[in-house]
Amino acid sequence: MMDFTWYLLGVLTGGVAYVLYLISRKITLNWLSWSGLIAGSSLVLFSIAWAVGSVLEGVPRAASMGILLFGLSGVVILTLVGRLLALKKGGG
Amino acid sequence: MVTDNHEKDQVQDNLDQSSEKKTNPQELDRSRRRFLKFGIAGAGAALAAAGGITIVKRMEGIPHDGFPLPIRDDFKRIDQRNQINVFANSKALNDKHPERNRSFNAQLQKENPQGFKPFHFYETRQTFMAGSYRDAPGYSQLERALAVAGFSSARQQLGGGSMEAPNSGVSSWKQEMLAKNQYQFNAPKEAALAIKSAARLFGALRCGITKRDERWDYDPIYDASVEREFSWEKDFPFEPKTVIVIMAEMDYHTMAAAPSWMQDGTVGDAYANAIKIAGQLTIFLRQLGYQTVASMNDLGINAPYAIAAGLGEGARNGQVITPKYGPRVRISKVYTDFDLVEYDKARTFGVASFCLNCKRCANSCPSKAITLGDPSWEPTYSTDPDYIWHASRGVLKFHNDAKKCAKFWIDNDGSCGNCICSCPYNKPDFWHHRLVDAQNVIAPGPVHAFMREMDIFFGYGKVSDPDRVKKFWKLGKSV
Repeated sequence: MMDFTWYLLGVLTGGVAYVLYLISRKITLNWLSWSGLIAGSSLVLFSIAWAVGSVLEGVPRAASMGILLFGLSGVVILTLVGRLLALKKGGG
Repeated sequence: MVTDNHEKDQVQDNLDQSSEKKTNPQELDRSRRRFLKFGIAGAGAALAAAGGITIVKRMEGIPHDGFPLPIRDDFKRIDQRNQINVFANSKALNDKHPERNRSFNAQLQKENPQGFKPFHFYETRQTFMAGSYRDAPGYSQLERALAVAGFSSARQQLGGGSMEAPNSGVSSWKQEMLAKNQYQFNAPKEAALAIKSAARLFGALRCGITKRDERWDYDPIYDASVEREFSWEKDFPFEPKTVIVIMAEMDYHTMAAAPSWMQDGTVGDAYANAIKIAGQLTIFLRQLGYQTVASMNDLGINAPYAIAAGLGEGARNGQVITPKYGPRVRISKVYTDFDLVEYDKARTFGVASFCLNCKRCANSCPSKAITLGDPSWEPTYSTDPDYIWHASRGVLKFHNDAKKCAKFWIDNDGSCGNCICSCPYNKPDFWHHRLVDAQNVIAPGPVHAFMREMDIFFGYGKVSDPDRVKKFWKLGKSV
């Protein structure tokens, strides 16, 4: 099951990288936006891997805490970067 | 001629343009910035690589030439008669030392005057693992059956004796199946690798090889079943030069049911595996022409031998914490006269620093036998010689009151395992725990205290959890 998760995460990582590439072609990203997008996406992907690992080892509470701590932090960062980019686009 | 002049003009124009480009301050600035960016990225990558290598090295352990714990000159070898389980199994020793039971009872009465019940190491021990079933998760006939079955193989292999009994069953001192010709290895490294490869085949989780160190051997050796002491010089069949230390894993899910009787199932099973591997290694080396004796908890103290063999580090709970598995292992040994072998070095993995700040085992110990204090040369829980008769003195380590631990076992009518179950190093082999391990080897003390809290927050190491008992009985689905 973990092996399949790694495969799935590989596909997801590739997908995320492609989306970031598409965004960067549409909007000029500065270092802050790049850092935020990469950190946010990495945290969300990390939380998925953490949660699956925790469920497989039989500690579901660790899975939910992992999603809460890592996944939520990732979503918050991505939201902030999204707002920043929207403001930039609207202003420009 | 016209073409030649034109070409010359063209070349001159290009040179001029190129010269303009070179001297253009904006372009120069951009180029410098680009160079700086690449420089920073390169330095960052180099720093990350160096950090990664450092972490990997630290996780493999820092090698030590000698024993990694400080030892005073006045350190004395332990008399096996002073080992708690040996004393508890021996009527003769209890009769000889009534002051030990008296002193312990006085302490118990002092600590709990209302609920005090007289305790006697030998007499109370006679009913161990034979009491009536209880109406509580983990204490039914089902879990008792698991515990007794778990221990049955180890007991059979050891000729029906206890784990502390020397010269019994697989750990017999008779040199049976000893080949006449001694096999010669090409190099000590090859010999070590061959022994470890055989250990792997027989089922060892980890295996280390160290020089025999008399400091860790009991003197004299004592067999409570026959109430007799044995001398290394007169009774032991040969002079041991090397000790091979073997680790067998205990099951994570079964240990998670601590302190119920269920966890005895995996304790007994791991004992059986540990002694089985030691027994097979014994025959392997005898077939190569070298004398050997397998040992469980007899002959010498397992923890310092495992530390010396580089398998782990001494922890607050008195056990050895080995990378990946923490204290969730049982240790056996093979004593041999074969010494043309490459010895392992003791290694430290940052456990001592973590234990200083964690204290989770001490907090979850039902009998408060584990110290909350810092490492010391002497026991800190008492200075009364009639009370600390079992303690080793002269090693800077965590000193725990093993008598209280033994009393809880008898009260619980099975062993305990809370200190193993609650340890943050006790984790199944999953990638995210290796990530946390990597962080722990480089983080300073306050981070360890934070990691302990996170371990609790994430739901690990809970003891007395009835759900773990229920969960265990569903694990058969995957078989």
